[in-house]
Amino acid sequence: MRLEDEYRSLRHGAALSRMDHVGLVRVSGDDATEAVDAICSGDLWVRDGRMLQTLILGEPGQPVADVYVCPDDDACVLMFEGITTEELSACLAEYADPELAIELEDLRPAYELISVNGPYAWEALSKWLTPDVIGLPYLSFYHFDRGTCFRAGKTGEYGYDLAVRSGYVERAWEELLELVGALGGGEASLETLDLCALENGFFSVRHASVEGLTPLELQLQWRVSARKRFPGAAAIEERRAKGMERRLTHFVAREGVESGDPIRDADGPVGQVTAAAFSPGIGGVAGMALLDLSVAHPGIDAFFVTGPNVERPIRTVSSPLLFNRSLLVDPHRHTYATRDETSDPPLWLGSLP
Amino acid sequence: MTTNLSDYVSSREAVLDRVRRMLRDTMKLRIEPEAIDPDVPLFGTGLGMDSVDAVELVVQLDAVFGLTLAGSPWVSAKLRTVNTIVDAILELGNET
Amino acid sequence: MSESPHITGWGIASALGVGRDRFCAALLRGESGITTVHRFDTSPFTTHVGAMVAGYESDDRDPSLLSHEFGMLALHDALAHARLELEALQSMRVTLTLGASLFGDHTTERLAHDLAKELGISGPAITISTACTSSTQAIGFGADLIGEGFADVVLAGGIDVLTPALFAGFHALGVLSERPCTPFGRQMGTTLGEGAGFVVIERGGLRDAVTRARLRGYGLSGDAYHETSPEPRGRGVAAAIRGALDDAGASAAEIGYLNAHGTGTVANDTAEWCAVQSVFGSDLGGSLALSSSKGHLGHAQSAAGVLEVITTLECMGAGLAPTTAGFEEARPGGPPRPVGSKQPKPLVYELALSSNSAFGGSNCALVFGKAKPATVSDDERRRVFVSGATALCAGVSCIEELASICAAESPLSKAELQIDLALELPRVDLRGIDRASELLTTVVSRALADAGAQLRGETRARTGLIAGVLRASPDSLYRFRTSLERRGFAKPDTTAFAQVLPSAAQGACAKALNIRGPQSTVTIGEGSGLMAAVMSAWMLARRRDSDRIVAAAVDVRSEQSAEGALVDAACALVLCTEPTAVEVAGIGLAGPGQLDEAITEAKRRSGLSERVELLVELPNPFGGMPATSSAFALAHAIGSLRRGKSKTALVATTGTTASVAMILTSNEVTHDD
Repeated sequence: MRLEDEYRSLRHGAALSRMDHVGLVRVSGDDATEAVDAICSGDLWVRDGRMLQTLILGEPGQPVADVYVCPDDDACVLMFEGITTEELSACLAEYADPELAIELEDLRPAYELISVNGPYAWEALSKWLTPDVIGLPYLSFYHFDRGTCFRAGKTGEYGYDLAVRSGYVERAWEELLELVGALGGGEASLETLDLCALENGFFSVRHASVEGLTPLELQLQWRVSARKRFPGAAAIEERRAKGMERRLTHFVAREGVESGDPIRDADGPVGQVTAAAFSPGIGGVAGMALLDLSVAHPGIDAFFVTGPNVERPIRTVSSPLLFNRSLLVDPHRHTYATRDETSDPPLWLGSLP
Repeated sequence: MTTNLSDYVSSREAVLDRVRRMLRDTMKLRIEPEAIDPDVPLFGTGLGMDSVDAVELVVQLDAVFGLTLAGSPWVSAKLRTVNTIVDAILELGNET
Repeated sequence: MSESPHITGWGIASALGVGRDRFCAALLRGESGITTVHRFDTSPFTTHVGAMVAGYESDDRDPSLLSHEFGMLALHDALAHARLELEALQSMRVTLTLGASLFGDHTTERLAHDLAKELGISGPAITISTACTSSTQAIGFGADLIGEGFADVVLAGGIDVLTPALFAGFHALGVLSERPCTPFGRQMGTTLGEGAGFVVIERGGLRDAVTRARLRGYGLSGDAYHETSPEPRGRGVAAAIRGALDDAGASAAEIGYLNAHGTGTVANDTAEWCAVQSVFGSDLGGSLALSSSKGHLGHAQSAAGVLEVITTLECMGAGLAPTTAGFEEARPGGPPRPVGSKQPKPLVYELALSSNSAFGGSNCALVFGKAKPATVSDDERRRVFVSGATALCAGVSCIEELASICAAESPLSKAELQIDLALELPRVDLRGIDRASELLTTVVSRALADAGAQLRGETRARTGLIAGVLRASPDSLYRFRTSLERRGFAKPDTTAFAQVLPSAAQGACAKALNIRGPQSTVTIGEGSGLMAAVMSAWMLARRRDSDRIVAAAVDVRSEQSAEGALVDAACALVLCTEPTAVEVAGIGLAGPGQLDEAITEAKRRSGLSERVELLVELPNPFGGMPATSSAFALAHAIGSLRRGKSKTALVATTGTTASVAMILTSNEVTHDD
């Protein structure tokens, strides 16, 4: 499918994706939680059956992995992007106390991860699993006979990541593709998922160039503990003491803006574009930029990107960009077949500069 | 719309600071207001507010900022991050 | 083998009528007791319906007066049904177990005290304050009391009154339906109700009584999940249901009818349906009938359990399954085919199960059988030991310091008690925790550490918590009340509302420490800490659903109320079935002012022939802490035994509504069983 078609089905119905870029491990043993706590930047204030989004940082404070920590009885399942399982294992070896009793089990290839995202993703799942899946809160998971269902997603729509036992994956894929097809959708590529993540303000460890940046600049302080020790903690403290100078801010533009482009205002440079992509949802470019802290706010029209012979104005905006359709869908009352989008507010409430 | 950039930024930063303080107090967070990212999601992830906190937030926004959201069909769009709250407050100020 | 306790009668004051006759007639006609609320102004709210007790719809007298009146109506009705004259009752060994969580200026045990007095019964009265599971638990504990021989008759039930504050709190949480609730149906939300109910539970053969049903067993659990939302997969509910089946020696297939908690809220109905399916199979084994009574009676809070049990018992006896009033179409994620006919459906069944869940995550299920003889095979009674103990108040942070103060008889420090729980429990989210929860969690955590107990895997579900608490945390009560005054009834502080229950501290502690076993909050007024320990001991001895129970108590200094505590104090003791140096040799329970009877009972049960030392009854420096002081006495006794200072110890107290005694021995002492 073309990007626009994939995008439309994900934003209005449901779409199915392979998640080969995501790692999945189980850390078990008496000290599993303590070991995971030692390498993750956030406080692990998360119950059994829930998920916590956190980070693994490098010593200089930059995000190295985007991690969901999922306590499962006494073990911890980790779903992560940005590093390999070997790298995760090395991180544990380096930063967790060697005396801790833990075992690391790579859940791949025993399991494969596939994902369903969209305002009606729950409808596909309620048929593929059981109807009570609609009661699963955001950032929760549970085990079923052929795997585990994680309700998460990085698109701003209902999202379910399914870890399915390898022997059943192909059949699961066929069944879900059919169910998603009935909801006007099909397969969505990683490119579409990443576009949706960008629009909804989800940090992408695979895209953001994070050299010299810490969670302070990246607006990820919420994933960082104020009280514990973890790799990168010292660098963050240092940056805090020194004062941060730039902050990641979202923007929109008509066209011709790319990652790496310098941003100026009438008086001089103010920052740089760190990510940009054409968004069918807004009919223009959606992007993120590192701006000087003094002007790193949404609602500003004074900036532009300079290219050869041309100035492209950008407008800074609050994230998320879109009024996701999922906010208007209630699984207890609605269905895809009986949906009526005519009276819904528009997908995007803003305008291009 | 930015008529005067520095005026806009000042008023925005003032509201941002007040909203951060209000959230910090409502959620009983033991952090400095500056540690609350302006684009942090409020519900589910981010600050991790739940439905009980949501009720209190709506009350506080009304009491502290005069922002009445109850009954508005677009409540869920306006209360997604700290910045969206600041947007709503500034919008209210522009209307009066 | 032992006999299942007999149920000889029940009585009710409800929205469907006061007294069994009116109630049954309305129930059989398929009527609903939910009407427009006239008792108070509902204009601040978006819903205006509730289920008030028939005849009291506009009665706006003080809730404590109404609750007393409802209680007496239901009690007299129950005694009439049981054909038990008041004079005869007064001559028997009677215990009152009352589910009540009404918050107000007085402490929670007051209602039980006044009811017992008016009935003229001199035995113990135990109040269970776990919100929506209160009366369910009261009935379950009634079975224990009969089984342990502490009582010959138990009047078990619950009472609640619908007040504007309660309405405001639930309304603000967004869980009330606009029209009368439709459990398992299309409309989301619940409708509040009120009422009183009592069940007469008796030991067989003591008098010429008609047995109407049998109380076969009960199960208790905790979600350890959230203050107001149930664990979404119904894990805790399933554990309570399985526990009740095990206790009854019954299999899931033998249950013919299940009375669900079924409030009608989004969160409850799907979680409960997950739980029911996990125990009974996704098609309910093909034959289990299921319904919720809240469409008829509203959600009667502390009385919900007993009103729903009575609904079940009336119908079971008449060969009917109760229906779900208001049900038309099944909601997605809920049971597809609950009993939803206009009137109860003809159905013959031998066993029924009733389940309830509450704020703070407690779940309780009961199994009932028809009147015919029923026995349960007795598991061998287990010996009970003490594996951990800690004490906390100004100047005391462990039981050794407690001993020094007792020895020196020096006054308690007047300094404010400072603790930093975040330091002790760095991996627990403590945001918003109130003072009572903070203190209770601190002592329970320390006591478990003292016991060397690590809650992992299955041990979480096999570790319980019984808290002796007289009232909700004063800071939460104050915040909630103030929010109503300053912000109006449309905008109360919902976080505070979730915490104005006496059981909020137990729920918060269980959540922080992941305690999922049997849990409860009980009070007898003064002496509640020792009561919690006595209950923990009998539960470990006779039941099989836990291997360890923490008995704890907490007092929070209250400036507002004359009946409140004067100091902050908390205490926790870990009781278990694995042998340690200190054993619980015997327990005794008697009415208020009957200290000697309680002590005699404990001695008899301990089988000790020599004199026991009375260590500390109510230590002098420890006044002003009604729940905790008796627990401190117990902690002190434990310390003394551990240090080898004595071989036996007796701790006893006469509390406001009961007298309790416990005898501890060092493990080498031999017992004549």
